[in-house]
Amino acid sequence: MLGSERGVVEEWLSEYKVLPENQLPAYAATLHRKKTLVSALYKVIQDPNNELLEPICHQLFELYRSCEVRLKRFTMQFLPELICIYLRLTASRDRQSNGCIEALLLGIYNLEIADKDGNNKVLSFTIPSLSKPSIYHEPSSLGSMALTEGALSQHDLIRVVYSDLHPQRETFTAQNRFEVLSFLMLCYNSAIVYMPLSSYQSLCRMGSRLCVSGFPRQHEKRWKDLCGRVVLDPGFMVQLLTGVYHAIYNGEWNLGQEVLDDIIYRAQLELYSQPLLVANAMKNSLPFDAPDTSKQGQKVLKVEVTPTVPRISRTAITTASIRRHRWRREDGIDLPSDSNPGSPTLCHITDLSANHEGDVLVHRTPETNSPEAAVKGPEGTIGGEDSINLNDADEGFSSGASVSSQPVGAKQTSAAQRSSSRKGGSVRSIKEREPQTTPSKPNENLRDVMPRRPPAPTADSSLEAMELSPMKKHLSLPAGHAVAKATSLSLIRTSSTSSTKSFDYVNGSQAGSSGGAMEGVTNLSACNTNRFSTISLQEDRLGHSGDRKDLLSPGAPLTKQSRSPSFNMQLISQV
Amino acid sequence: MAAKKAGSRLEVEIERCRSECQWERIHELVKQLSVKLISNDDMAELLMGEAKLEQYLKDNPFKQGVSPRGPRPKLIDVRKHLTAALDRGNLKPDFMQEANMIMAKLNYVEGDYQEALSVYNRVGLDDLQLVAAPPYKLRMIAEAFATKGLCLEKLPLSSSTNSLHVDRDQEIITCYEKAGDIALLYLQEMERVQTANIQNRSPKPGPTSQDQELSFFLETGLQRAHVIYFKNGNLTRGVGRFREILRAVETRTTQNLRMTIARQLAEILLRGMCEQSYWNPLEDPPNQSPLDDPLRQGLNTKCYALSRRPRVYMGENIFCPQENTEEALLLLLISESMANRDAVLSRIPEHKNDRIISLQSASVVYDLLTIALGRRGQYEMLSECLERAMKFAFEEFHLWYQFALSLMAAGKSARAVKVLKECIRLKPEDATIPLLAAKLCMGSLHWMDEAERFAKMVVDCGEKSSEFKAKGHLALGLTYSLQASDASLRGMQEDLQRKALLAFQRAHSLSPTDHLAAFYLALQLAISRQIPEALGYVRQALQLQGDDSNSLHLLALLLSAQKHYHDALNIIDMALSEYPENFILLFTKVKLESLCRGPDEALLTCKHMLQIWKSCYNLTNPSDSGRGSSLLDRAIADRRQLNTITLPDFSDPETASDSSSLSRADSPLHLFVSTHLPLSPPKSDHPLKTCVDTELSCGPPDPRLRSIHATSIAASRVEQALSEVASSLQSSAPKQGPLHPWMTLAQIWLHAAEVYIGIGKPAEASACIQEAANLFPMSHNVLYMRGQVAELRGNIDEAKRWYEEALSISPTHVKSMQRLSLILHHLGRYSLAEKILRDAVQVNSTAHDVWNSLGEVLQAQGNDDAATECFLTALELEASSPIVPFTIIPRVL
Repeated sequence: MLGSERGVVEEWLSEYKVLPENQLPAYAATLHRKKTLVSALYKVIQDPNNELLEPICHQLFELYRSCEVRLKRFTMQFLPELICIYLRLTASRDRQSNGCIEALLLGIYNLEIADKDGNNKVLSFTIPSLSKPSIYHEPSSLGSMALTEGALSQHDLIRVVYSDLHPQRETFTAQNRFEVLSFLMLCYNSAIVYMPLSSYQSLCRMGSRLCVSGFPRQHEKRWKDLCGRVVLDPGFMVQLLTGVYHAIYNGEWNLGQEVLDDIIYRAQLELYSQPLLVANAMKNSLPFDAPDTSKQGQKVLKVEVTPTVPRISRTAITTASIRRHRWRREDGIDLPSDSNPGSPTLCHITDLSANHEGDVLVHRTPETNSPEAAVKGPEGTIGGEDSINLNDADEGFSSGASVSSQPVGAKQTSAAQRSSSRKGGSVRSIKEREPQTTPSKPNENLRDVMPRRPPAPTADSSLEAMELSPMKKHLSLPAGHAVAKATSLSLIRTSSTSSTKSFDYVNGSQAGSSGGAMEGVTNLSACNTNRFSTISLQEDRLGHSGDRKDLLSPGAPLTKQSRSPSFNMQLISQV
Repeated sequence: MAAKKAGSRLEVEIERCRSECQWERIHELVKQLSVKLISNDDMAELLMGEAKLEQYLKDNPFKQGVSPRGPRPKLIDVRKHLTAALDRGNLKPDFMQEANMIMAKLNYVEGDYQEALSVYNRVGLDDLQLVAAPPYKLRMIAEAFATKGLCLEKLPLSSSTNSLHVDRDQEIITCYEKAGDIALLYLQEMERVQTANIQNRSPKPGPTSQDQELSFFLETGLQRAHVIYFKNGNLTRGVGRFREILRAVETRTTQNLRMTIARQLAEILLRGMCEQSYWNPLEDPPNQSPLDDPLRQGLNTKCYALSRRPRVYMGENIFCPQENTEEALLLLLISESMANRDAVLSRIPEHKNDRIISLQSASVVYDLLTIALGRRGQYEMLSECLERAMKFAFEEFHLWYQFALSLMAAGKSARAVKVLKECIRLKPEDATIPLLAAKLCMGSLHWMDEAERFAKMVVDCGEKSSEFKAKGHLALGLTYSLQASDASLRGMQEDLQRKALLAFQRAHSLSPTDHLAAFYLALQLAISRQIPEALGYVRQALQLQGDDSNSLHLLALLLSAQKHYHDALNIIDMALSEYPENFILLFTKVKLESLCRGPDEALLTCKHMLQIWKSCYNLTNPSDSGRGSSLLDRAIADRRQLNTITLPDFSDPETASDSSSLSRADSPLHLFVSTHLPLSPPKSDHPLKTCVDTELSCGPPDPRLRSIHATSIAASRVEQALSEVASSLQSSAPKQGPLHPWMTLAQIWLHAAEVYIGIGKPAEASACIQEAANLFPMSHNVLYMRGQVAELRGNIDEAKRWYEEALSISPTHVKSMQRLSLILHHLGRYSLAEKILRDAVQVNSTAHDVWNSLGEVLQAQGNDDAATECFLTALELEASSPIVPFTIIPRVL
């Protein structure tokens, strides 16, 4: 330690003692600019035999105890270094020499555990829940949450206490050591943006040394330290990671990543799942492009411009699109059932269908290109699919959107296109669609409609078949569907795993008969017209079977007239 | 604005097409328009100009950062139309403004920024009415603001004064912010109109099928402002801008944008902010913040107003985050639900890129969720989130691994092992994974065969760095050691113990600085009664790690095996000064104290333990980790615990799996567990109080009982299960949470009872036992202690019955066997006694008092030679017998 540094420290020691109360704020404002003082203080702290250590610790505590927050933070910046020195001295047998550091740490701890009124400080936070509206979202617009245990228990916002009831500590013991240190790191992290760069460096240094000392990896390091292994606690390591994570993005890009690796190394050897989990996530989410590190201490918080167009191709099967696949599939399958004379119930309600015409068309329009194209009311009220998604445990948060993604159709199914044979018509309409979708999908649509076409051997087609299979069980199939039928056995499993209870297919195939299932739909739909229309869309798709008038319409699977009646029928059958 | 009906219908249609950017249709509509009125000519010019310009922009999209200069031949037409419309001046002021704005846009497209700006100044953008404006107009105004911002950015500063520079920056940003706000408003309006159309069944929905794609200008307006903020290092305003965009009610078109912005804001919150620098979205930001570049301090509040703003999410009880992590979590959950929806499920090669994109965007979100939840210790919720990520996880190691780790951190061991197996398959070269699996298997799961398989994987696998290899040997040694404790055949036991010793030796030689290797080597040596060697290694372990509680405990036990009871007690006291709340150390202390310092001290220690128990579990109680407090969770916890109970484990109570659960009084797992405790305080310690006061002068412990130390280790799992059933029948027992804090309490009572028995106080002893029995009525330890009391009272028949009951619950309870056979011996039923004792020796070949009893029985039967041998063995074992079996020290990886 140079004489000049010593002088700086001594001056600092004496200056504060004579400082009148009213000059504290001014003093606090200048203190953090004294760079030489800070580096001199680090040197003293690092040297356990320095006779200035004790007065310094005392004064740092005095600063911490003052009511001026900037003075508090001045002391706080040395926390990583203090913890590091303390732990290393503890690991070595040289325990006596760190008495004043220990006292300082305990002093800060005892100040921090109590709030202003001397009560125990309780740190808590609320786990947000998507099922409660927030300033950033409305539950319905995200689709419903999966009905899992977790989702249920989280239905209300839950307040979680993450740090609480720390007793006053007079001494460190092996048992309370990391309880105290973790809490101190928590305090440090909660003020970390106010810390200077030198403190981040000290934090990184501490992380590296504590994790690697005494392990073979130490030999790869530039620094040499005669110190054995330092015991670490998983909770403390997680707190350490939080600090390091901040340092990485706020000026210590290289050093921070090195520490991150060291912590992972140590967590692996200790088989601590928690720090390993967090550190893996931090490492994996580092930006791919290393920022310009030439400028030391640069922040690397960047934002990039993202195009608003979806980046995922429209043809890919996504969680959101899988549902509409199912429907489309069922459209195809429905055809055979059409060959039966339609059920009489359907016929006499046809007139209602007109009401839904508009809905069907518009719902369909968003089409594939945005899978989340939920039919939302302007008030953001209801995602189209909500009512059904309630049962969809499989999808996590499923979109309220998939409804909309039916193939174009709408345009083509104008009245002008009516032709004589329904079957012929549907084939035609599919042909029309074909150029617009990728080759992989029309296959599935066509397979059932046109038996001559064998199922495409793609993974995706078998997937389709899976969705279909339950349908087939309910419908009498023409012989031509044998191929699809063969796959159906294996597929049933899949459809059941999706655990949607196949609400939709039940509705579709067993339209009138499955009253119980219907009930859900009707109840839900009753509450909101918007919903009503969406559901009707879905139901229509599925149960358009028997409308005599529509047998003549060419785009049959897609025409609205053919669908809405069935829905209405279902409603009526409820009543 | 034709008053005629036909005209107005046409106008509506034109307006709609302009709103929806259907420029092709405008051409034909204009034709219809111009035949009707002459004054429509100018209107037609305006429309044609606009349509052609927009069509051109659609066909030649702008690229960010690329600015084409100079006039385009294709745009000459546009200029002609617009000039015509403007020059004649027949248009209404509204339409004049529109024409001007289109003109300015044209100027920008052609690179004439100055001219564009002057047009905008002429129009007076800020005065344009937003209220009741049709959607297309909103779009135009938004684009105009964005274009103005672009022009301002392009133009060089006339003066280089710093303050001017700041002003200019602010002006540019304000332009973009207004553009963004109005763009959001436009999109909301569009959606509202469309939905209204649906509901009114408007005549022709028209071909609006293609999703609205944002023009370059709207896109710029929405995003440029925050990009500039962050580029300038003004985090505060950047965050503010993000929040404004996110608070606006979502439209279909903004979903993708919202997903990314939500994620980016979460990143900023987690990476660049902290609790103390946080301000919530409804508060004004702090004026000065360390988040901002100090050189570019500006106002941190918004400095413009619009006559109409985009709708934001509102409501009565709307949730507004109050804390850093809270907001980050909310944003990430929103982002997750969107990312999850885009999960590409098909595996065909054509969709590879889509899969990668969807995986990447989801994976970033899940990583951030991990960071945010890990910070707050919410591993349970994290594991549920990561479970949702599994739909992306096919062959994705990172997701599988993270899921496994989260399960492990959440204490869901069995599932974690299964997921770890998949991780091993995906990355067989990583030694950590099988080690983690082995750790779980030999922990609460007690799947020893699996553990052995995992440990062998590490050991057998090719070259690895020595520290991991050493860990593998350590794991293997522990499995063997635990299996040896479980084994019922002596031969197998010895074989396993030998293997364990070898493995520990390998581990120690590979990693000589690892105190655990030295410690377990010492422990294994101690278990096979090689006391001096064990002492050597435990000293080594203590040199490496001076305050390890297990090493200190072992040292004390080793000293007690050498009959240095006072030294042992000193060591225990030393260890307790570092671990004052470690029950397993305290139990040993009670035993040692009743030997060295008399029963009073021991009873005081028992009382102390009760106090600690009370403070420990009451203290952690209010910190109910929210999620755990719900009834549902409690039910789950109970069920889980039952699962572990029903594991087919009939091991001797002295196995480590039980004792380890006891000893972890300070482990995080334990804290988690304790949150389930009900608030009711433990039973009062009345028998102790009375006794401590009145019985201060008691004689030395009964020498007869000195050798009979109830192991008083946690009862076996069968015992737990039975007790569970029994106490649920009784319905009076205060047990709701997991057993283990309650088991600790029962153990304390049993220890106290033992001390009372030692000083010949049957009444007090049975009071203590009753306390334990209230908790675990079917515990074999309780029954055994009752037998002890009965013996003390001279009630041999009753004692026999208790021992038999204890054995029916735990057939391998060596101490009950030994006491029972002693009674049988006294009753003269030698052969049955001999049979029981031989069984006991099979179970635990190091129990010297069993050997001693066997000798006595054999002697009584006249088999002197065999008896002698037994006595010799007993003598030999007694010389190395610790006060408490070595196996109470937990063996965990």
